[in-house]
Amino acid sequence: MSDKYIARSKAVAARVLGGEMIIMSAVDSKLFSLSDVATVIWEAADGRTPLSEIVAKRVCAEFDVPADVAYQDAEVLVEELATRGILSISNQPVADAEPATEAL
Amino acid sequence: MSLMQELNDKALHLGVPLSAHLDITYRCNERCEHCYLDHDDHGEMTTAEIKDVLRQFADAGVFFLTLSGGEPLMRRDCFDIIEYARSLAFNVKFKTNAVLIREKEAQRLRALGVEQVQISVYSHRPEVHDAITKVRGSLERTIAAIRFLRSQGLRVTMANVSMRGNRGDTEGVHALARELGARYTLDPTITPMMDGNTSVLRLRADASEISSYFHNPALVGDVESFCAPPAPIDDQVLEGLPCSAGHTSCYISPYGDVYPCVQFPLTCGNVRQQKFLEIWQHSPQLAEVRSIRLKHLTTCSSCTHAGSCTRCPGLAYMEGNMRGPSSADCEKSFVRTGIVTAGMMARKASAPAPVLVQIAPAPTLTA
Amino acid sequence: MAASVSPSRFFREEPAERCGATVEIGGIPILLQTGDEDFRNLIEQRYAGFVNSSAEPVCQLAIHLQQPMKRPPDDVQVSRSGSVWRIERGDFCAEFDARSRSGWVRQSANPYSLDAVLRIMHSLVLAEEGGFLVHAASGVRNDRAFVFAGVSGAGKTTISRLAPPDATLLTDEISYIRRSGSSYHAYGTPFAGELARVGTNLKARLAALYFLEKGPDNRVVPVSGPHAAHALIRNILFFAHDPDLVKRVFDAAIEFVSRVPVARFVFAPDERAWELIR
Repeated sequence: MSDKYIARSKAVAARVLGGEMIIMSAVDSKLFSLSDVATVIWEAADGRTPLSEIVAKRVCAEFDVPADVAYQDAEVLVEELATRGILSISNQPVADAEPATEAL
Repeated sequence: MSLMQELNDKALHLGVPLSAHLDITYRCNERCEHCYLDHDDHGEMTTAEIKDVLRQFADAGVFFLTLSGGEPLMRRDCFDIIEYARSLAFNVKFKTNAVLIREKEAQRLRALGVEQVQISVYSHRPEVHDAITKVRGSLERTIAAIRFLRSQGLRVTMANVSMRGNRGDTEGVHALARELGARYTLDPTITPMMDGNTSVLRLRADASEISSYFHNPALVGDVESFCAPPAPIDDQVLEGLPCSAGHTSCYISPYGDVYPCVQFPLTCGNVRQQKFLEIWQHSPQLAEVRSIRLKHLTTCSSCTHAGSCTRCPGLAYMEGNMRGPSSADCEKSFVRTGIVTAGMMARKASAPAPVLVQIAPAPTLTA
Repeated sequence: MAASVSPSRFFREEPAERCGATVEIGGIPILLQTGDEDFRNLIEQRYAGFVNSSAEPVCQLAIHLQQPMKRPPDDVQVSRSGSVWRIERGDFCAEFDARSRSGWVRQSANPYSLDAVLRIMHSLVLAEEGGFLVHAASGVRNDRAFVFAGVSGAGKTTISRLAPPDATLLTDEISYIRRSGSSYHAYGTPFAGELARVGTNLKARLAALYFLEKGPDNRVVPVSGPHAAHALIRNILFFAHDPDLVKRVFDAAIEFVSRVPVARFVFAPDERAWELIR
């Protein structure tokens, strides 16, 4: 299975509010509120870390969920976020992506 | 409840300033006759100071950031500031007269991911708009800028302030907005000058003009329900907050002064002397503003419009009492519904009694 | 990729204000956002039969109206940057992000401009799934769809006019072919051709693709793989020479002819025309 690399879109605003990640797309002004798991994946989406690694090291570590289920869910999640234009998915590391963030 | 309302609710309970408005300069390349600002530079914050404020905003949880002025593009570091704000992942709303925006600037705003640009347009007729801004050719440049911004796919709002000088032109501006692909908002509010000077208030649109807006379905939707008398007030309503100023939003001037709102110039602290979070959490002035519920309002708590009035605490503050009525909003509530407000009655009661000569009827003759 | 934007288990979302009309063509609902009453009414009238307000939009397009441009419509200029397509013609300018399935268009209140934009958007969406728009008439008979391709003058309008009462015409000009697994369906569209009649909002499983020629008698002559693909590609609506898109369309055509019978249909342009079409 080839690795997936995910990167946050630059055209978004994001802020943690009371433990909840809120995002607004600058493209179509859509507002999003991410679940805990989605937040962890979003924050780790630096374009360089493979999705499998994000799931293994961040998701499985912080949430009590089996690796295969977690990865399946992660694949669905990132596809959904990409459909809304706030995340990109690629087969290779993304050159100029933003680094993984500390929750701001 | 919508997601946006939920977020505001959550911010309220957590005491988080979800929205902040930062004016980066009061200098301007226009001189709108109704403007509430002193345009001289009395020592505006430096680039470094502003960036530090932005970092503090981000740490405090600010998400929706409005950047404006004066004319923000008068600052050479304006784009630097916007870029920095975007690097901190703020949702940026940029307010400008757009006179200085050409294709390059529009491209840059788009590339920086600014979420929306708000531009004041006073009329679709250049002679009227330019007479208000006092700059000949300003409407033409503003419209050209809106085209550039729209061609970059940016969301643009044309804010139409209704006043004496542009009476009758709102439909024209609305049509222009449709043509340009911009949103349209109409606001008859003229704010007194920050130093207390109320001479600009003479420029306010009169009651008949405001009434025409409130009875225009294109602007308000269902006129019957919009202009209906208010529902009876219950205790729940009286426990309500006047508005979000000081609760989930605040304002910082180019000189670092923190106000609850740009239209509520009560100095709650200065970021050049204290950390923003320190002011936000511990300012006595903000504490006072936050303590006010509708039930605490001297006159308005007993008004039939208490639950539905657009009362601005800042305008009330500028009239002398942050717990008192706002006469501009009394007028709006009255014009909208035809029902007199408590504020209007209070003003009438305190007016000097007219001198009346009692005329006694002549005694009737009895036989 | 999911064909529709259904709610996620992992996040909540809320669109910005949404008003306009949802036009569903080919089973793909597109929200045409406009705050202009008159234009919305125009859309609802023009695409009557295809307006579906209860459908959840898969794509959205914000329409911004302006005064008519003085330049006449010329060739469409198309460029792509990542997933964002930029489409320009004398009478409109549009951008559409194939990833987020949303975009905007600047045009005057001219329905032909909107037709063109919609055709292009649908082409993009179809291309991702192996479908395409083709210069062809199509009709449904016995719950089977038949597509009649050909250049101008080959007989598309003629075959359409000669459709018998038990055949339903989908279109006389631009056919909409959508792939679903190993089968294909033809859909009616509101894009009017010479008959200037809005097509019926109907779909049916595609039974055959015919290349039209007028002749003295009716004859159907099967066409094999490479010839079929080649002839089909010449009739597909192309609007951009983007290498990725061209490849997808080529692949779509090749896949199509491997699954759907293709033939030359020489037909007598009279009441016998549809005898072999059943």
